[in-house]
Amino acid sequence: MQIEFNNVLPKPLSEIDHSTESLWNSKVIFESGKRILLNASSGKGKTTFVHTLMGLRTDFTGDILVDTKNTKSLNTDEWVELRKSKISVVYQDLQLFPQLTVEENLRLKAELTGAFNSEAAFEKLTYLGLKDKWNQKCGFLSMGQQQRVAILRSLVQPYKWLVMDEPFSHLDNQNANLCMQLIQNRCDELKAGFILTTLDAKDNLSFDYEVKL
Amino acid sequence: MIKDLLFKYQEKRQLVIALIGALLGITFLISSVHYLDKINQYGEDSEILGKNTLILQKKVTSASTMGLTKTDFSEREISKMKLEPFIEDVKPVISNNFRVWFETNDPYVPTFKSDVFIQAVSKEFLDVESDKWHWKEGEQFVPMIMPRDFLVMLNTFMNASGIPQVSDDLAMKLKFRLRISDGQKEEWVDTKIIGFTNEIASILVPENFMEYATKKFAQGDPGKITQIMVAGKEGEFGKLETHMNEHGLESKNSQVVVSRLKSIVGTLFAVILVISVVAVIASGLVLIQYMQLVLSHNKYEVRTLLRLGLHPIIITKTFFRYFLIVFILVLMAGLVFFILLKHFVDEIFQTGGIYMNEHISVLALTSIFLTFIIFAIASYRTAKQEVFSLFNK
Repeated sequence: MQIEFNNVLPKPLSEIDHSTESLWNSKVIFESGKRILLNASSGKGKTTFVHTLMGLRTDFTGDILVDTKNTKSLNTDEWVELRKSKISVVYQDLQLFPQLTVEENLRLKAELTGAFNSEAAFEKLTYLGLKDKWNQKCGFLSMGQQQRVAILRSLVQPYKWLVMDEPFSHLDNQNANLCMQLIQNRCDELKAGFILTTLDAKDNLSFDYEVKL
Repeated sequence: MIKDLLFKYQEKRQLVIALIGALLGITFLISSVHYLDKINQYGEDSEILGKNTLILQKKVTSASTMGLTKTDFSEREISKMKLEPFIEDVKPVISNNFRVWFETNDPYVPTFKSDVFIQAVSKEFLDVESDKWHWKEGEQFVPMIMPRDFLVMLNTFMNASGIPQVSDDLAMKLKFRLRISDGQKEEWVDTKIIGFTNEIASILVPENFMEYATKKFAQGDPGKITQIMVAGKEGEFGKLETHMNEHGLESKNSQVVVSRLKSIVGTLFAVILVISVVAVIASGLVLIQYMQLVLSHNKYEVRTLLRLGLHPIIITKTFFRYFLIVFILVLMAGLVFFILLKHFVDEIFQTGGIYMNEHISVLALTSIFLTFIIFAIASYRTAKQEVFSLFNK
């Protein structure tokens, strides 16, 4: 599934001068199955990129094409399908349900596509060092733990693209590496690509190419 | 899990207040519609005269008491009235000219007997099934139409005797008999009530029976015609009333009293109905507002579910189903409350001698159904609107 940004410029970013390399106001193609790093400093529109792609904001000029179809023409059912089984997202604010347990958070998302496998999910949680948190409410977890649960939740469903908005911001290098390994494995398994936004450090990240904002 | 996520952690106090309001509103709505309908129907089945038909008599004055004027109608007067353009038909009401006693004749009812006054009117003026309203010599039962006041009196007697009072339906199943006599010989005739009336003060019997009894037991001269039955032409009833005033005629006013009573009680229930409708609307709005509040409290959860790929219609239906079940429970509870209230109110009416059909009014059930439909539409639209507003946020 190819994603294409054609001269997209969100209104809040229209006052800022963007470089010629910037994604904004130029044509950028996210090739199917590629692992892409979206590197930018604060205020350049990393979260805005995720929100415009997922249809959470519509205040932009230009066009976003998903498999040649303009997102402006997508109806509710098509958006639901896109969010449910084509593009999986790790939002910057994680979007977990604090009143539900880790297991319930994972189950809720995966059950939308009928893909929930309790044993596999528990195995991955154990791999990320959160074995004892399976039945704990997410609201009681630390930010780093919540971030790992949010990453895991994005992996338990099938997808063509995994979009992550600063997914390791609360993780140490060791945990970030574990997560990255899990992400790589899952993308390999699904033959899917990912787009990862980050502030700076990229030493521990493995990717095909970088896009700037 | 989605239902738990959306409703488990909600503050329930406002819901309880809304539910109590809705329950009271629904109970009063069903009650007022039911009794309004029953009051409108009251006596309808038993009215045996057409709407333009009156029983007329001459006003009793001091002069008539002293014998200076007559209170009976002559054949000439009746024929003259028939010629009036606003009158459809005139017939004498034939009264008994012999002694008549009425008494119970049923093993389940204690003996009650009373002197009574019977009358016969032409069949064309009566709205009764013709197969029920006939008699010929040798037949077992004489059909009769009973004044409702007489049933009230009978029930007063029943009550004083410590036995249950009887409804219209039951009274029509009990056995009674008439004793007719000329003072020397007498005859017992079994009789059966086939209906009740508020319009005539005497017991009505078929003309054939009256002729038979008059022939056999009449004393002295034929009975005078003191009452006549008059059918006015449609749309010209006012002229008949003017004619009545000009000629010193009057009609029995019990029907007027019943109508007035029905009007007062009907107005009372209409006021209660208006209050109930306002209460139901208000409680419905509170429930809808509570739904908006729940949606507002769950804004984060709903938005996140939508971001994760849950279809907005599924979330809409989750809210809709929850509130629909709540409202169905309120309606059912309201119906139970109404049945309890009805039991109590019916007893009050029966104590006052008013017997109404005990079935729940179809209009009342329709009002519940309509309320349900309106609430269902309003709640679905509200839920859909609120959920879809979060879809692209």
